Amino acid sequence: MKEIRQTVLEVIQAVLPITLTVVVLQLFIIRMPANLVFQLLIGAGMAIVGMVFFLLGVKIGLLPMGEAIGAELPKRGSLLYVIAIVFLVGFAVTVAEPDVIVLTNQIDVVSQGSISGSLLIYVIAIGIGFFVAMAIVRIIFGFPITYLLAAGYVTVLVLSFFTPANFVPVAFDAGGVTTGPMAVPIILALGIGFSSVLAGKSALSDGFGLIGLASIGPVIGVMLMGVILG
Amino acid sequence: MTEIVVLEGVGQTFLNVMKALLPLLLLFLILQFLFLKLPAGHVFNLLKGILLALIGLALFLQGVHIGFMPVGRAMGEILGTIEHKWLLIPLGFCMGFLATFSGPAVRILSNQVEESSSGFIRKWLVLVTISVGVGVLVALGVVKILCGIPFLYIIVPAYVVALVLIWFCDRTFVSIAFDAGGVATGPMAVTFLLSIAVGVTSVMEGRNPVADGFGLIALIALAPILSVMLLGLIFRTKLKKMEVNKQCPRKIELLL
Repeated sequence: MKEIRQTVLEVIQAVLPITLTVVVLQLFIIRMPANLVFQLLIGAGMAIVGMVFFLLGVKIGLLPMGEAIGAELPKRGSLLYVIAIVFLVGFAVTVAEPDVIVLTNQIDVVSQGSISGSLLIYVIAIGIGFFVAMAIVRIIFGFPITYLLAAGYVTVLVLSFFTPANFVPVAFDAGGVTTGPMAVPIILALGIGFSSVLAGKSALSDGFGLIGLASIGPVIGVMLMGVILG
Repeated sequence: MTEIVVLEGVGQTFLNVMKALLPLLLLFLILQFLFLKLPAGHVFNLLKGILLALIGLALFLQGVHIGFMPVGRAMGEILGTIEHKWLLIPLGFCMGFLATFSGPAVRILSNQVEESSSGFIRKWLVLVTISVGVGVLVALGVVKILCGIPFLYIIVPAYVVALVLIWFCDRTFVSIAFDAGGVATGPMAVTFLLSIAVGVTSVMEGRNPVADGFGLIALIALAPILSVMLLGLIFRTKLKKMEVNKQCPRKIELLL
């Protein structure tokens, strides 16, 4: 019960300030048609209730699933199996991330279908899966995270000069939305669980950095998509 | 359009939700049959969670579809035509600051930084730094739209700064910083701030909504990264000073 109240509070804290700002702006500056304001209030209400349900569902359903899969991983000796499963989990949690769905929908609408939303969502998910798998390889072999981060960002910088202008902002935005309420807890649980099982690795500095690494994947993925399609 | 629509596009929303949750469900079920073999009661509980997430996601996406997205777009279209466009810059700052300052994820991060610095960096300092950082970067995003600056000219220098900071920061702070990228890009940023930006660019002459409207999320995500690493740098300098002064040798021992 306490957990539900906490979740409700968190969601309201995230949604309310901006909604109130809009209402104030509406009263003093912008004056939109009244039906739009009502639609905003109804929509905000639905989004709040929906977010609470979703977060609770993640806590009691999706997160334990991720943990169960994560705890199972080190028991299988095969490195290839571990990498494949980590890739698939990264992929699966990304396509379920609300922010990713909203962003890809928006791009589909704004570009009038010239950048396909459903293709984009799979490219982003593959990017995440690939980089989370890389991060796990890093934990196994124990080389510093700064090398991977720097290599990833240098790749991004170089690619950004070859990517068509329409894809660059979208690519960077894709990196920003993947760190949502769904992917973060599950990927973190995977990483922390994994590195705490491997002896001699500090759970803190090895498990962390996973999310930062993960968000480079979609940027590179969408840029490559732009280079190929553009 | 004068009526209020709530159910518009609900079929599409439902389809999106199914596509979103199916891969994880399938992956889990396959692994369950092959390796996990969790007790049936436990699996049943997990499936209840999935159902809850499914309903929640559908409600959220539909709410965004009828509320935040069209209203953000309409607001942007009105704001894009106001006379004193510079007003949008402080407005952007305020929205970025407010959205972050009230967000629950930033508070968790602030506690984490306070702990990692053994209390040297107070959590309110982290909270304010990140919120101001997001405000400044959203304002910068507005300037980008108003002046038509190509996105690369902003994001490349910002990333170079981040890369340089990596080499001067402790590993713990680097890890925390890069994981923190997501704390400011909550659901409001993608659904609402982005819609406003797209709306503004769609009514301004010479702007292309795809190339100029997007990019805001990336800027917002950079704010916590830069803020936390800057704080890490300050922490390190402070620590060095203390080492020189030998004011508090025991505390340093504890830290190292």
